[in-house]
Amino acid sequence: MNNTENVQKVIELLKKKISRQAAISFGVCVHCGMCTDTCHYYAATKDPKMAPAYKVDQLRKLYKYYIDWTGRIVPGWVGAKPLKDDKDLDMLMDALYGSCTMCRRCTLNCPMGVDTAMLVRIGRSLLTSVGKAPQGVKDVCKAQYETGNQMAVTKEDYLETIEWLSEELQTATGDRGAKIPIDKKNANVVYTINPREVKYAPLSLLAAARIFYAAGENWTMTSEGWDNTNFGLFAGDDVLGALMGKRQFDKVYELGGRKLVVSECGHGFRATKWEAPNWAKMDLKFPIESFLETMTRYIKEGRIRLNSSVNKESVTYHDPCNLARSSGITEEPRFLLRQSVMDYREMYPNRADNWCCSGGGGAMSMSEYTPRRLEVAKMKAEQLKATGAQIVVTACHNCVDALSDLIKYYKLNMNVKVVSELVSEAMIIEKRIPLKVVAAEEIIRGSGERILVIDDEPDIVTYLTTLFEDHGYKTLSAFSVDEAMNKILSEHPDMITLDILMPGKTGIKLYHELRSKKELLNIPVIIITGINPVDYPQIDFRKFIYERSLPHPEGFIEKPVNKEQLLITVGKIFAHKQTAVKDA
Amino acid sequence: MGSGSILRFMENEAQIVALSVMALVYALKLRWIFKKNLVKEITPAKGDPQKGARLSLLSIAMPWTMESMLKHPLRYFEFVIFHLGVTAAIAASFIIPYAPKLFTIESVMYLFQGITGFAFIAGAVRLIKRSIMPDLRLISSMDDYFSLIVLDVWLLTAFFGIPNKDYTALISFFIMTAFFLIFVPFSKISHYLYYPFARVYFGRHFGRRGVYPKVGEKNMEAAK
Repeated sequence: MNNTENVQKVIELLKKKISRQAAISFGVCVHCGMCTDTCHYYAATKDPKMAPAYKVDQLRKLYKYYIDWTGRIVPGWVGAKPLKDDKDLDMLMDALYGSCTMCRRCTLNCPMGVDTAMLVRIGRSLLTSVGKAPQGVKDVCKAQYETGNQMAVTKEDYLETIEWLSEELQTATGDRGAKIPIDKKNANVVYTINPREVKYAPLSLLAAARIFYAAGENWTMTSEGWDNTNFGLFAGDDVLGALMGKRQFDKVYELGGRKLVVSECGHGFRATKWEAPNWAKMDLKFPIESFLETMTRYIKEGRIRLNSSVNKESVTYHDPCNLARSSGITEEPRFLLRQSVMDYREMYPNRADNWCCSGGGGAMSMSEYTPRRLEVAKMKAEQLKATGAQIVVTACHNCVDALSDLIKYYKLNMNVKVVSELVSEAMIIEKRIPLKVVAAEEIIRGSGERILVIDDEPDIVTYLTTLFEDHGYKTLSAFSVDEAMNKILSEHPDMITLDILMPGKTGIKLYHELRSKKELLNIPVIIITGINPVDYPQIDFRKFIYERSLPHPEGFIEKPVNKEQLLITVGKIFAHKQTAVKDA
Repeated sequence: MGSGSILRFMENEAQIVALSVMALVYALKLRWIFKKNLVKEITPAKGDPQKGARLSLLSIAMPWTMESMLKHPLRYFEFVIFHLGVTAAIAASFIIPYAPKLFTIESVMYLFQGITGFAFIAGAVRLIKRSIMPDLRLISSMDDYFSLIVLDVWLLTAFFGIPNKDYTALISFFIMTAFFLIFVPFSKISHYLYYPFARVYFGRHFGRRGVYPKVGEKNMEAAK
């Protein structure tokens, strides 16, 4: 599409997109500037171009020029401007995609009631319609359209992971009947997840399964329509938004499920519960609940009991914007954490006034804007630091990634977890044994598979090789990419753990080589990295997760390594491999 | 035509014509807005949309509920004084022709003069801020500056017109008032037409989702 076509399409779509609420939000802004320092982009940089009113004015100018009465007659008077070419669209993209996480903090602080985030979404929808969106956003949208989930996980991979997690659940509970049901009819709870959970963070899915098991819930997951995330929200794509919602809703109807429970995902919950029914025009006959609400209910009904003394480290809670500012979920996670940990510390401001993690609105998938994202995460970093907590807990996998990044960037000594992990750890079963202990130390055992550990830091290599050997695996090690390649070719390891940043050739280069050689293509790779993307923008590892230039690595673990997460990822990958061999 | 006749004309016929123009333009604007599709939420409410709407409408009088207002008390104070002055000047435009005796009570007259006088100062401060603060300058259009300037001039004419003694002051005040009635619907000053709708839609939306009214009073203490 050329310049003129893009411009025409955007203008036509703008005219169609203006609802009554949008027209009023465009018209009522008096440029009072009260929103300015409520935005983390402005608060961290003091750049006037980061003020919400300025950013959304880039779209308001078009509204005034093409739609507003006064603007059409005397455009210069009210600051109305026409859309000229692709350059204008690029500037709009920088303002609406690159400088806003749609967190709605400015919206709640606007004395006039301007819903800036809604206007930003309209602007994004115009840009998306002409292909003007960050590559990561486009790739994820494409994956959701084509495969039904944002990480393009195949149905086989997904089902195998669930089956394998079922076996882990059986080991953990000692109950051969314990399992993660798939497509069970007439269940009380149909549970949908963020694909991150099945791909890179199975620990949180296992935690949920343990909680459902302990509560004696009649629940199920689904073979299709299991992704609760929805990039239609971020891209302003109502068609995709409706499709992702409808896939889940249809499955609940098909199975005769009584309730849809959405796992810990901020935008996933907001999109599924509040937005998708509008986009899909579906008046649902079943309720939708966040897993936070479900766990709270279980405790209040006495279906699960917690022992907070298990979690002794100090903990604070970060409110995901889409839960606190768009879904009214602020008290449930606090209730759960007070039941699960010994030392809970509030951060200020909190709840609907909390600062954004800086990764909202799809920002984690926009590698183009990573340096800016980390710069403006300063507000969150200062908040976290002030709590003095050792662990920051959140209820969103997107926030987990953003918080992990900012913790590294601002050198905070903290770990990140989701709420269900702590609840699961504190859960009391019959013999009052925390389930975590069973999972970490006893479930995951290898059968002599060989893992090549590649890292230039001897301490890390020693730690990982010891950990793997203690759990029944054999290990090889390499301290550089060249050494690693020699060992791969001569030893043919069953799996590789790969550090990204190494002297000389980077791990990224090795990963490219592995994925381009047919004979090495099938060796699973777990990327283990503590890299700070701002120090090394040329090797932004998050591209591996969101963009489609290469196949995803089989595992992705951030340093400091969570032992349980690593072991469970290794176990999951080998389980898949065995199934593949059997099938072959 | 003497000053008395001009004043009488400006107080009556001119105001009625100007008011009619304003009413017509507002009616057309509202008709245009109400033709737009109203986005309704399908999901059953978690909170109370009506309570949300009520509180949202009142939020402007509850600065403690909003971090932005709490962090900038001086700006909030300016806002209150400025808008009280506008209200007083509008009231004066009716009192002078239809209930002139009220301004013969000195305390009432001084009260109105005091409010419009302070509002003029608040307006001048706002204008200076808009002109020198980079973040405000960047978002300001000609309309933003001009509306503020003419409003401030109008407040000044109200200040001098309220004693209801000086023909020149009164004629200036009513000329400005008539001008305003015609100008306002085409300027940013017409924000008050949209304001109640914006606040109600905002309150219903966030009230329905259980976000508004917000929980967590300690935030506000922290914001101070």
